[in-house]
Amino acid sequence: MQASRARLFKEYKEVQREKAVDPDIQLVCDESNIFKWTALVKGPSETPYEGGVFQLAFSVPEQYPLQPPQVRFLTKIFHPNVHFKTGEICLDILKNAWSPAWTLQSVCRAIIALMAHPEPDSPLNCDSGNLLRSGDVRGYQSMARMYTRLAAMSKKG
Amino acid sequence: MVSDSISAVPIPSAANTKNPGKKKRTNRSAKLKQYKIDARREQWLSQGAVKSKGCKDGVDDDVVHAPPPPVNHGKHSLEPLNTRRGGEEDDGLIHHDSDSESPTNCPAGVLCGNDSGTNFTGSSSGGSSSSSSSSSGGCCSGNITEEEEEEEGEDDDDGCLDDWEAMADALAADDKHENPCSDSPPVVSPCEGSSIGSPNSKPESGRLVPWGTGNSRAWRADDAFRPQSLPNLSKQHSMPNPDRRCVGGVPWGRLPTPSSCPICCEDLDLTDTSFLPCFCGFRLCLFCHKRILEEDGRCPGCRKPYECDPVETEASVHGGSLTLRLARSCSMIERS
Repeated sequence: MQASRARLFKEYKEVQREKAVDPDIQLVCDESNIFKWTALVKGPSETPYEGGVFQLAFSVPEQYPLQPPQVRFLTKIFHPNVHFKTGEICLDILKNAWSPAWTLQSVCRAIIALMAHPEPDSPLNCDSGNLLRSGDVRGYQSMARMYTRLAAMSKKG
Repeated sequence: MVSDSISAVPIPSAANTKNPGKKKRTNRSAKLKQYKIDARREQWLSQGAVKSKGCKDGVDDDVVHAPPPPVNHGKHSLEPLNTRRGGEEDDGLIHHDSDSESPTNCPAGVLCGNDSGTNFTGSSSGGSSSSSSSSSGGCCSGNITEEEEEEEGEDDDDGCLDDWEAMADALAADDKHENPCSDSPPVVSPCEGSSIGSPNSKPESGRLVPWGTGNSRAWRADDAFRPQSLPNLSKQHSMPNPDRRCVGGVPWGRLPTPSSCPICCEDLDLTDTSFLPCFCGFRLCLFCHKRILEEDGRCPGCRKPYECDPVETEASVHGGSLTLRLARSCSMIERS
């Protein structure tokens, strides 16, 4: 408990420092609870998510960093490895490949990387996975772009 | 659409409370939070898309390959900038100025390796269209780092969270006075430049090479200006070595002994610093090591299982590292 707090506090300070350096990620800690974080990540360029800003919710366990944080998308996203309804993310580093050397910031980067490189063979969103597995890249991209426009761009757009 | 997501997604704190009045209140505060986040998003979206483009590549790339070392990123990324300015000044001046730097700052700067370097090059290459703005941003975060290290706390939760750009401007003005004191890292930069070889760091490293290559020291032994507070002459000596080794593919090898445990962020004591549980070179405190052994037992640096005999590993530290890791064991001796 104490260790996780110290570590999270350090990460908080680190995030304050890095803000200017990492323009694709904004990590915000809940004002009243250091175990709850919110992140805004930009959709990577040259993907159907480009131009969108996606909100992630972090729930950090007390055993952190020995246990990975729980992360899910709050913004709707059409992606093979993200559950369309719950926003749950299928990513190895959030499960068995987690390493305590990772930080919340690096998890965000990993999620951005996952957005750019979907893994259709372990789908949480079968529609999306099936499109990609059947080779219909165009179909997948247009669906993903549509949901990016609907959910991840500014309200008017 | 975003308001949609509020109603669709149960906010945990609100869902847990049973009292309806309380629920309302928490709901409202949650909405307020969401509103803040939305505002942030809007602001962010409207902000220059120009700036961000280039950075993406750099950032994405380095994620996939290795978990970034958790220590002191922000600071390091500015060194090329600072050193460039420093390089134009008189040698003596620089050394004199770096006197004021606390000894902890230097090793800390040394710690951060490749990763932050690529971050920097990414952002600066992307910002080449708007280079002046991005570089001033870089400078500032550097200064924040140093100030924070010297006077812990205080300026953490003031305006910089909400309005960091204004903060950045203010600090940029400050920067002119403060800048010289971030000059001691020039020794690091040559290594950084050579290991990354990015187009952006070339001019700086080129200028710095005369310092770096000769005898790989920044200060001559008889230099009167050499700060006494810096015990790291030998460390500077050894710096190029770990770096060269890291080109050979040892991911954590380039990190000299960190000053705090990367897992729990507590300071490493003497026993911890001479503890090298894994051949990949990833260091952590004995306490975290034990906790990890109780759980999944894999090294955080390379994710390979630890060899479970602590006595044996310790023995290999004393015997093995002296031969295998001459550079690091040198710095360890310096330390003790």
